[in-house]
Amino acid sequence: MNKYWQIFKISFAQEFAYRLNFIMWRVRNIMQIILVYFLWSSVFADPSRQVFGYNREKILTYVFGILVLRAIVLSARVVDMAGEIANGEITNYLVKPISYFKYWASRDAASKLLNLSFAAVEVIVLYFIFRPQIFIQTDFLILVSTALSVGFAVVLFFCLLFLVNLVTFWMPENGWAAQFLFIAIITEFASGGVFPLDIFPAAFQKALYCLPFPYLLFFPLQVYLGKIGGLTLVGGLGMAGVWILILILAVKVVWLKGIKNYSAEGR
Amino acid sequence: MGSVKSVFSPKKKTIHALRGISFTIQPGELVGFIGPNGAGKTTTLKTLSGLLYPTSGFVQVLEYDPWEKRREFLKQISLVMGQKNQLWWDLPAIETFELNREIYEIPKRDYEKNLEELVDLLEVGSLLTIQVRRLSLGQRMRLELVAALLHKPRVLFLDEPTIGLDLIGQQKMRDFIYEYNKKNQATVLLSSHNMDNLVNLARRVIVIDDGRILFDGIFGELVERFAKEKVIKLFLAQEGDIKKIETIGTVKKLAFPEVILSVPRSTAAVAAAEILQNFPVNDLTIEEIPIEEVIRRVFKGGLAR
Amino acid sequence: MKTVFRYSKIWWLMSKNAFLAVLTQRVGFGIFLLGKLLRFIFFFGFIFFLLKGTNRLAGYDLNQTLLFFLTFSLIDTLSQFFFREVYRFRPQVISGNFDLVLVKPVNALFRSLMGGADIIDLVTIPPLIFAVAYIGSLLHPGILHATYYILLVFNGLILATAFHIAVLALGIITLEVDYTIMVYRDLTNFTRFPIDIYKGPAKGILTFLIPVGVMMAFPAKAALGLISFSGVVWSVALGVFALFLALRFWNFALKKYASASS
Repeated sequence: MNKYWQIFKISFAQEFAYRLNFIMWRVRNIMQIILVYFLWSSVFADPSRQVFGYNREKILTYVFGILVLRAIVLSARVVDMAGEIANGEITNYLVKPISYFKYWASRDAASKLLNLSFAAVEVIVLYFIFRPQIFIQTDFLILVSTALSVGFAVVLFFCLLFLVNLVTFWMPENGWAAQFLFIAIITEFASGGVFPLDIFPAAFQKALYCLPFPYLLFFPLQVYLGKIGGLTLVGGLGMAGVWILILILAVKVVWLKGIKNYSAEGR
Repeated sequence: MGSVKSVFSPKKKTIHALRGISFTIQPGELVGFIGPNGAGKTTTLKTLSGLLYPTSGFVQVLEYDPWEKRREFLKQISLVMGQKNQLWWDLPAIETFELNREIYEIPKRDYEKNLEELVDLLEVGSLLTIQVRRLSLGQRMRLELVAALLHKPRVLFLDEPTIGLDLIGQQKMRDFIYEYNKKNQATVLLSSHNMDNLVNLARRVIVIDDGRILFDGIFGELVERFAKEKVIKLFLAQEGDIKKIETIGTVKKLAFPEVILSVPRSTAAVAAAEILQNFPVNDLTIEEIPIEEVIRRVFKGGLAR
Repeated sequence: MKTVFRYSKIWWLMSKNAFLAVLTQRVGFGIFLLGKLLRFIFFFGFIFFLLKGTNRLAGYDLNQTLLFFLTFSLIDTLSQFFFREVYRFRPQVISGNFDLVLVKPVNALFRSLMGGADIIDLVTIPPLIFAVAYIGSLLHPGILHATYYILLVFNGLILATAFHIAVLALGIITLEVDYTIMVYRDLTNFTRFPIDIYKGPAKGILTFLIPVGVMMAFPAKAALGLISFSGVVWSVALGVFALFLALRFWNFALKKYASASS
């Protein structure tokens, strides 16, 4: 276990070597949140307005919640894996007694910790600038459920990213494209990262819930806001769990095929 | 128009990287794999370290099947590739060393002893805390060696370890490998397309070309059999009676001011001295026959066993 | 006239090469195209469903909001089509290849700015124009406002050119191209929605200081009759001025580059 803790530490140190990169990433995150904040403030200009099942307070809580959740769930180092496979650096790890999967999990953890620390500060600063009405959840049980669903979301997203990056074994030049499609596009929208999924008609939402994406951001936030509980909660966690199992299985199969196919070449 | 066509229907080729390679290596041996680029040397090393899966035949290293990548197996081997670094680029090398200590589960005392030994041997004491990206290639290669040897591997695979190094760096690398093999009885498999890497280093050489073994035996034998001459290149200061040069050696090229001769290995130094005495020479070098030439001869001469 | 002809030919050849390069990576770029398409559809869907529920956004109805979004997409896609080469600038400068560009008898700015038109966007631009025309027609703008619209779209492109030139110039000086482009993209993203959703200083900044507002939102506003004649004139003046500034900046950067030792 010590080796992965060491990787966590060294990865954390590595993030600091790319300070500018990281700062830019945080700045972009903040800009996105500001955009979304203004959007919804405009929609709910009248504070008593109710639409899509939200009022002003709840929607702004959603926006700020997204900022924090994205830092925990969506921030990842494993996006670099495609590059490591493409340029052959993965070879170094294949000849060592270390699990490539756990290696990236440790690196991700370091990145998430760093992002979360910054997001926490940003939320506080933005709160004092905009002074929105935020809904703070106090029910202990709900908070536990939220933590649980966030945990599921973290594992889910990691497995998803790992799988998408494995595609690089077959398309060393185009791994970035698969990543772009899945992460930048599909995940952005279907996870509830830009807007709450309740704006879609109920039938469409039901379809979305069969996919893993809503469980990344939307579902945990709904749990936090108290809009999902009881049986629906259990059902949702179950679905997320099923997806985790499917993805882990897929990762195992694709990985094995991938290293067989891999000629350890590299530019 | 042709370029557009090739973009739409690129031709695919099946490449047989290795055909019928067979050899056995004893513990503690220092074996050199030599052959031109694309010969299959790297493929061999990668198969032995578990990176590649042989489509037929079997591989056994330290009584393990490398492909299974058992932890106990991986803890005893090390792979160093000339161009692919394991050191984390933006951090000081010592961080990667600490990481390897954990990965290979090296006990603290052994780690510290090995580290000190290697750092002294490779003279990298002052470089440990500098960001790797700031170091020169030679410095990085030395640190790569430290990282690769901290866990005292029983088998060491070296793929083109001297690539990109200057002449002094190359020699130091060879000296180190020799010493390491002698002191630790580690089995060393070294692959290169540069024949100089094998001179005075590997006792046993395996010549690979086009995926086949062409020669497997003592280095002296290879030289004796196929590289009986050396090449003397010289640049004349003025044209003169160059015909006389033909008495010293076989002229391969004659284009003023450049002259290339081949002379028997044993008399190369004498021949050079004679040339310097009797001809107006600006510059003179004595070189090995290019490996491709040796290979060609080995191939023409048939398999050694 | 001869120069224009010559540069057009050069542009055509460079774009053809870029096109062929894309084809060799067709899987990657196919996926990329799919991604861009999906992103557009998702956003379109978002606006549609959003306005179905709320009726108005900052006072605009569905079609009007869509016009803002479509205009943004059009100008954004057009500038990405022309200036794709800017995204490849960083490796050029870092590796020193930029020197090779400088010694050729082709204007270095032209080469770095427009050297490789993005073929993928040829697919996306015509439908966009059609969509803009369709939604626009639903709003019955009248000849005058429609003309303002087209004029301000061109102005938007001029501003985009100015931005990209500035990015290049900054790239020469700081070797950082990727970040500046990302900042530019994030700033323009603010104009996906009508800029009236922004309150307070944010709105002013976005409209005039970093004129993405003028660039992306004004054309739609003009089509809706919200910009007066003098407003249009001022906007175009701003565009031309920005271009002028950017060119000065570029020349400054070149001088600095030439004087620094590598």
